[in-house]
Amino acid sequence: MSNLIAIKGSKDGLRLQLDEAAEWPEVVEALRGQLSQGANFFHGAHIIVDIGERALAEDQLATLLDLMKQHGVRPESLASTARESRNAARAAGLTARPLTRAPEPEERGEAGFIARTVRSGQVLRHHGHVTVLGDVNAGGEIIAGGNVIVWGRLRGTVHAGALGDRAAIIGALELAPTQLRIADLIARSPEGGANNFAEIAFVENDQINVEAWDAYRK
Amino acid sequence: MSRVITITSGKGGVGKTTTTANLGTALAIQGAKVAVVDADIGLRNLDVVMGLENRIVYDLVDVVEGRCRLRQALIKDKHFPDLCLLPAAQTRDKDAVSPDDMIALANQLRAEFDYVIFDSPAGIEAGFRNAIAGADEVLIVTTPEVSAVRDADRIIGLVEAFEKGHPRLILNRLKPRMVNRGEMMSVEDVLQILAIDLIGVVPDDEMIVTATNRGEVAVLDRGSLAGRAFNDIARRMKGEQVPFMVLEEQQGMLDRFFGMFGRRPRSSER
Repeated sequence: MSNLIAIKGSKDGLRLQLDEAAEWPEVVEALRGQLSQGANFFHGAHIIVDIGERALAEDQLATLLDLMKQHGVRPESLASTARESRNAARAAGLTARPLTRAPEPEERGEAGFIARTVRSGQVLRHHGHVTVLGDVNAGGEIIAGGNVIVWGRLRGTVHAGALGDRAAIIGALELAPTQLRIADLIARSPEGGANNFAEIAFVENDQINVEAWDAYRK
Repeated sequence: MSRVITITSGKGGVGKTTTTANLGTALAIQGAKVAVVDADIGLRNLDVVMGLENRIVYDLVDVVEGRCRLRQALIKDKHFPDLCLLPAAQTRDKDAVSPDDMIALANQLRAEFDYVIFDSPAGIEAGFRNAIAGADEVLIVTTPEVSAVRDADRIIGLVEAFEKGHPRLILNRLKPRMVNRGEMMSVEDVLQILAIDLIGVVPDDEMIVTATNRGEVAVLDRGSLAGRAFNDIARRMKGEQVPFMVLEEQQGMLDRFFGMFGRRPRSSER
């Protein structure tokens, strides 16, 4: 991921932080690169674009929104300390959020952990690694920037490395997913039942492979 | 202490209304004062299943909009004066009431009845949200089919999100012989996916269809296996420990079981 861009999960939604000092076209290019690697991560999320102290004119903001729109992403709000940026956001139909420069309470860090069943229709999204203690049922979805480990039965859909990281893995005690995605690759389960041992999915030779976890370890 | 219970399922056609009518009747037989409420506004059914359609004067929307008093809209059951139906409006839709209206209605009913049972419409939209708004607890009905179980899973997630506690499961229309042949999901298969407590299993029973067509409920028929299952669920709702009916016997055992009632089993195949 470009160091001009940072993605953080917060209780309000996904915070897309864009570097406030670099040249604007550079920042837009960096975001273009990020979106082409993993736009799926952003689909359906509440996105807050955080541009810090940068003062954006309406046409500069329009460039950003156009780029995001091309990838099917629409932010919900724009956060900035600059009044000019917030006015531009309102003109573009976004919610404008003032940004207090007090350090934000750091969110739970780079990994998420939940102990419950992820049921049909529920989507869990996290910028880091995700561990689920419980089942992920068919129709449930986990989208993570990093690895996903399900200590239970995985029957739903998991997208690991959703920000473009092909080194991400997906592990489950019983791997019987509807679909697995790692970075830009997609795989579905072969017909037939799951194996009753823990398995790991990973990328090798541009495709998603699955191995028993102790074989993978070697 | 009165309890407000909503029966819901996500998928349509799995037996919510039948379950509501039977549990309401069973609780009334067991001596409780019960109100059953049809929250499926625009597609009312509960009155038909209970054979009370021709007695409707006022309905739920009339009560909410103040055209009548609650007492005027409540219809006494044919058999049990302590069982009352509050019918849905047929000419309106789900938007005619709000969740706040339903909470107020539930609290009004709570004052007069031991059990208030809301029959939810299918789906996850406004009608469902209205139906669970006033509930203390939720019972999920599903059948042993993949699509019904999938929808039940979705609904359980929503019920938990609305902080209605842990819903309990009624598995309806189980066909033991198909399960024995490995052609239908078993109770265990369903529980493994849904991971919630089971309050009852209702076997598939053709008598449900014939009873419904007559506007009667199966719990009134001593010969009906489904009726017995609903009676057991009603007792479990009251907190009694009732052992689960043995359904997954070999055919010979089933024959003997039916033999006790002096009847032959009807074929459960369609």
